[in-house]
Amino acid sequence: MKDTFSTYHPLLNLLYFIGTIGVTVFVTHPVLLGISFVTAIIYSGVLRGFVKTLKFNLIFALPTMIIVALINPMFNHYGVTTLGYLSNGNPFTLESCVYGLVMAMMLACTLIWFACYTEVMTSDKFIYLFGKVIPSLSLVLSMCLRFVPMFVRQLNVISDGQKCVGRSASNGSVIKRAKHGITIFSILITWALENAIETADSMKCRGYGEKGRTAFSLYYFDRRDLACLLFMIATYGMTIWGAVQGYAYSSYNPIIIVEGLPLTLGSFLVFASYALFCLMPTMMELYDREMWKMRRKNIEKSAAGGFRLWEV
Amino acid sequence: MGSLDRMLEIRDLCFSYPTEEKRALNHVNLTVKEGEFIVLCGKSGCGKSTLLSHMKTPLTPHGKRKGEILFKGKPLHEMSNREQSQQIGFVLQNPDNQIVTDKVWHELAFGLESLGLPNEEIRIRVAEMASYFGIQGWFYKNVNELSGGQKQLLNLASIMAMHPDMLILDEPTSQLDPIAASDFLETVKKINRDMGTTIILTEHRLEDVFPAADKVIVMDKGEILAEGDPAYIGKTLKEQNHQMFLAMPVPMQIYSKVKSDEDCPITVRDGRQWLDHLCQEKGIEPVHKAAVMQKKKEKRVLLECQDVWFRYEKETPDVVKGLNMKLYEGEFYCLLGGNGTGKTTTLSLISRLRKPYRGKILLNGKDIRRYSDKELFRGYLGVLPQNPTTLFVKKTVELELYEMIGGIKEKKNDEFEIDMTKKEVVEGIVKLTHLEGLLHRHPYDLSGGEKQRLALAKILLLRPKVLLMDEPTKGLDSYFKEEFAQILRQLLAQGVTIFMISHDIEFCASFGDRCGLFFDGSIVATGIPVDFFTGNNFYTTAANRMARKYLPEAVTGKDVVEWLQKM
Amino acid sequence: MASEDVRMNFEDNIDFLNRYYEASKVEHDSMGSRVAKTLIPSKLTKWQKMKQAAGELKDEGSGGDSIWEEDMYEVDTAEYQSTQRRKLTARSKVSLFLLLVLIPVTIIACVVWVDAQGEFVQWLSGIFGNRKYYILSLVIVVYSIIPFFMVFEGRKPQARELIILATLAAIAVAGRGAFFMLPHFKPMVAIVIISGIAFGGEAGFLVGAVTMLVSNMLFGQGPWTPWQMLALGLIGFLSGILNRLGLLPAKRFTLCIYGFLVTVFIYGGIMNPASCVMSVYEVTWQAILASYISGIPVDLVHATSTFIFLWLGAKPLLEKLQRVKVKYGLIE
Repeated sequence: MKDTFSTYHPLLNLLYFIGTIGVTVFVTHPVLLGISFVTAIIYSGVLRGFVKTLKFNLIFALPTMIIVALINPMFNHYGVTTLGYLSNGNPFTLESCVYGLVMAMMLACTLIWFACYTEVMTSDKFIYLFGKVIPSLSLVLSMCLRFVPMFVRQLNVISDGQKCVGRSASNGSVIKRAKHGITIFSILITWALENAIETADSMKCRGYGEKGRTAFSLYYFDRRDLACLLFMIATYGMTIWGAVQGYAYSSYNPIIIVEGLPLTLGSFLVFASYALFCLMPTMMELYDREMWKMRRKNIEKSAAGGFRLWEV
Repeated sequence: MGSLDRMLEIRDLCFSYPTEEKRALNHVNLTVKEGEFIVLCGKSGCGKSTLLSHMKTPLTPHGKRKGEILFKGKPLHEMSNREQSQQIGFVLQNPDNQIVTDKVWHELAFGLESLGLPNEEIRIRVAEMASYFGIQGWFYKNVNELSGGQKQLLNLASIMAMHPDMLILDEPTSQLDPIAASDFLETVKKINRDMGTTIILTEHRLEDVFPAADKVIVMDKGEILAEGDPAYIGKTLKEQNHQMFLAMPVPMQIYSKVKSDEDCPITVRDGRQWLDHLCQEKGIEPVHKAAVMQKKKEKRVLLECQDVWFRYEKETPDVVKGLNMKLYEGEFYCLLGGNGTGKTTTLSLISRLRKPYRGKILLNGKDIRRYSDKELFRGYLGVLPQNPTTLFVKKTVELELYEMIGGIKEKKNDEFEIDMTKKEVVEGIVKLTHLEGLLHRHPYDLSGGEKQRLALAKILLLRPKVLLMDEPTKGLDSYFKEEFAQILRQLLAQGVTIFMISHDIEFCASFGDRCGLFFDGSIVATGIPVDFFTGNNFYTTAANRMARKYLPEAVTGKDVVEWLQKM
Repeated sequence: MASEDVRMNFEDNIDFLNRYYEASKVEHDSMGSRVAKTLIPSKLTKWQKMKQAAGELKDEGSGGDSIWEEDMYEVDTAEYQSTQRRKLTARSKVSLFLLLVLIPVTIIACVVWVDAQGEFVQWLSGIFGNRKYYILSLVIVVYSIIPFFMVFEGRKPQARELIILATLAAIAVAGRGAFFMLPHFKPMVAIVIISGIAFGGEAGFLVGAVTMLVSNMLFGQGPWTPWQMLALGLIGFLSGILNRLGLLPAKRFTLCIYGFLVTVFIYGGIMNPASCVMSVYEVTWQAILASYISGIPVDLVHATSTFIFLWLGAKPLLEKLQRVKVKYGLIE
C-alpha cells in the first residue's frame, strides 16, 4: 500500500526514519517513548492495515515485550524501592520493574518502526540516496537484489529436478537431507557463477567502467518536498533543543527521575513537537484520503445536478 | 555524409583458441554495408559465435590471431571502449544473463549512465525507447517479474537507447518460445527498416529471417562457405549438395531435392506458388481433403490420467481441467500447445512433483502416490528438466556420470544395484549418447546440444522405463536434433516409453508416434502425426502448409519430396 | 563408410541397452547393510545407528569416495591448502593496517580524550542517560565499516569484481531462505569464509557486509544491522588474511574447526554484547557475560550448521571459485 509520504523525496523519508528511530533507541524517557510507540502503531496501521499490524504486534512485539519486562527485574537488582524478595534473596525493586517495562516498549517500538521503514524505503530509494556516495557498492546492492529472487526461483527448479532423481531434500534422515540440500545448493552456485561472467561482459559491452559515470534518478525535489523539510526541521529541531535542555533525561537508578514531568511549558512544547513530527506522515495520508473523498463527492454532486461532464 | 560502404570489414581473419591446434576461424573475409540485414548461419561449432565475438573487444576470446577488423575504416582495437560500446550493440542468447539491475527503468538507463550522459538526456532517451518498444506498461516493474520475451526485449531496448550504428545478435531467440521469438524478430526487422541500423544476426529459425535478409552468410569449419541473398544461397547449396541444407527452411529443402528451373522458394508462400507452377507443368490437380485413418496398434496402457484437476493456489484459476490421457507402452508421445498453457504443470503432475486436487494418475494400474520415491524415480520414471544445467554439479563430464550412481568406487548401494560394473554401464551410455571425447571437459564448457545429451545420459543411468522430457530441443540446431532423435530411436527399440513436451512442430511431426494438443487445461486432440497435422490449418508443419492443396497428408518435407519424385 | 559405422553403432547400442535393462538387482554392500548382516536381530541399537550415520557422513562428503584419498583433480585448489606464507597484496596490507592499527588507535584515542573531558561526558549523560554506550558502540561499528567501503570505492573496481561480489552475497542470502526444511541451518558464515579464502580479505569483508545488508533489506531491517554487517565482514576479512598468511590452510578438518570457532567467537562475540548494549540498563561486565551465556545455544546451533556446511561443501565450492578465477582472469 503506497501512502502519501512514500511519494515524497527519498531523502525526506530517510530523515524521518532516522529521526523517529533515533529518538526511540537513544532515549529512555517514558513520555517520548510512549509517543513514539503510539505513533508507530498508528503509522503501521495506515501503511499495512490495522489487521496486519495487530497480527504483527501479537506475534512479534508482544512476546518480546513480555520477556524483556519480566527478565529485567529478575536479573537486575538496582534501585531503592524494594517490593519484595526473590527466592534467592535478591531484592525485587520497583525501579528495575519500571525499567523493564520501558525497555520492552522500546524494543517493540523499534520493531514496528523498522517494519514501517521497510514499507516506505524501497530498495531503489536506498540505492538512489547512496548512489552518489558509494557508486560501485550501490551497484553491487542493486545487482544482488536482482539476483536473490532469481536464485530462489532457480533453487526451486533445481530441487524439483533433484527430487525427480530420487534426491529429495524434504524427506529422509537429517544427514541425507543435508547432503541433498547441499547438492542442490552446489548446483545453484555453479550455475550462478557461470552465468555471472556473461552479465559482467554485458556490462562492459554497454560501457561500464568508463570515467564520468552519472546516476539516473527518477526523483525530483519539488516545492512540496521543501515545505515538508521545513516542517520536519522545525518540529525535530524543537525536540533536539528540548533534549539539550535536559527534558529527555531519565534515570532509573537509584531512584526514578523523569525530567519534564509534571508538565511545564518547555517540556510540553518538546513533547508536542515530537508528537507532531511522528504524526506527520499519518496526517498527510489522512488529509489526502479526505481530499479524494471530497473530490469524488463533488463530481457526483455535479453529475447528479444534471451537468454533463463529458462530451458524448 | 553518404552511406558507408564499409561499415564493418574483416580482412583475412584467422583465429585459434589457446589449447586447440585447429583454427576456429580460417581466412575469413567479410564486408558489411551500412543498413544491411545480414544473417549468419551454420552448423553448431562452425565458428559463427566466435566470429561475432570478435566484433566487440570485451567479448573477444584469448588466443592466437591474425588479420584485421575495421569498423568504419578504423581498426577495432584502436577504438576506445566508450566509442565502441556506444556504436556497436551486442545482444546475447540468454535473456537473464544480460540484465544487471533489478528495475526495468534502471536497466534502460544503465548504458546511458555509463556513457556519462546528463540526467535530462537520459530521461529523454529512456522515454523514447520505452515508447517505441511499448515498454511503458511495465516501466516500474521489477525485472524478475518479466517473462523471457519481455526480458530479451528489454535488453534490446537498453542497447538501442545508446543509439548504436550496428547491432549484433547472437542467437537471440533460442531461449524463447515461438510467439515471443517471432515478436522479437519482428522488432529487430522494424529497427532495421525504420532506423537503418546495420544488423548482423545468427539464427536457427531461418524461416522468419530469410525474407528480411539482404545477405546470408553460411559458415562451415571456420570458413565462409557461401555468401549472397537467400535465393542464391539456396541454389548454391543445392548445387554443392551440402549438409547445411538440413538447416534451411522446409520449402528450400523440398526445392533442393526436385528438378526445377524456377527460383528457389524461401517462404511457405513462395513454396506454394512454386508448387502451383510445378503441378501445372506436370498436370496435377488440387485434391479435396482426404480422410486418412490408420489403425492404431493395440498396446498396453502404461500411464493414465483420469479426470485430473489442478491449480496452484485456492485463489488462482485451474491450470489443469479434467485432463484425460493414456500413454501406451513403448510409444513416443509429443504434447504440443501454446506457451504457458500448463504443459509443464502436467509434466510435474505426472512426475509426482505436484498433486492434483481431483482425479487420479495411475502408473501401471497403481495409483502414483502409492509408489515410494525410490521405486518411482530409480528404475521407472526419468525426468529430463527443461534446463539441462540444473542437473550439473561436478567439474568433469565423467564425474557427473559417476555421481549419478553413487561415485567412482565399484560398490553396490542404493543408487546402483544391478549386476554390471559401473565402468561398463557408463561406457555403454557414453557411446549411446555420443559423449566420447568429452569426458574431461567441464559440463558448462559444452555446447547446447552436448549439454542436452549429458543430461539425458545422467537420466538414463537411472534405468528409466518412462522418459519424461520438457522441451529438449529448445535452441538446438537441426544436426543435434537429428542426433538426438537417433538416440531416442534406439531407446524406443529397447521398449522405453517417451513422453515429450515441445513447441517444435517439425520435430514432433518427423519423429513422434502420437501427438496431442494441450489447450485450456486438457488435451483437445490426439492422434498420429498424419491425422493430427493434416486436420489443422495453422498449427501444423511448414510442409503441410505448403503442399496441403495437392497432398493433404503431407507432414514432413520428405513426404512432399517422395510424392513429387513419384509423379 | 559412415552409414556402415552408424548401423554397427546402432546395433551395439541396442545390444547394450538390452543387457542394461535386463540386468538383475544385486545386494548392496554399504556399511549399513554390512552392519545389518552381522546383526541377526533387525533392530539396530542406538550405537549401531550412530555408527551408521557417522559412516554415511564420512562417505557422503565426496560422492562416495573416501575423504582421505587424494583426488587427482585437486591440483587446482592446491594453493589454498598450502601452509606457505604468501605475500599479502598491497591492498590487503592497507586493509590490515586499517583494521588492526588505525581504527583501534583512533577509537582508543577518542575514548581516552572524551573521558578526560569530564564535562562532555556529563553533558552526554545528561541527554542520553545510560544509552551513551549504545551510541558509542554504534559509532564504533560504523566507523569500522566505512574505511573498507571507501578503499573499495577509491580504486574503481571492474565489472567482473562487482559481479562476483554480488553473486556470492546473493548466494549467501538465497541460502538463508533455501534451507527452510532444516531450520537454523544458515550457510551464510560458511560462504563468507570461503569467499574470503578464494578472493582475499577485502572481498571477504565486502561479501559479508553486503550479505547482511541485502538479507535485511529483503527479510526485514532491524536495529542490529550494522553489527551484523561488521561481524560477518570481519569473519570474511579474517579468513582471507589468515589463508594468505598460511595460517589457515583449506584442509577440510582445519577449516571446519575454524568455521565453528569463528561463528561462536566473532559472530557471537559481536552480536551478544550488541543485544546486551541495546537493551540492558547497566552495561556491566556481568551483563555482557550474561548475554554470552544466554546466547550459547543459538551460537552452538549456528556454529554446527557452519561446520556441517564446510565439511560437505567447502571443497566443491572452492573448486568452482577457482575455476571462475582462472577462466576469467580474476587473479588478484
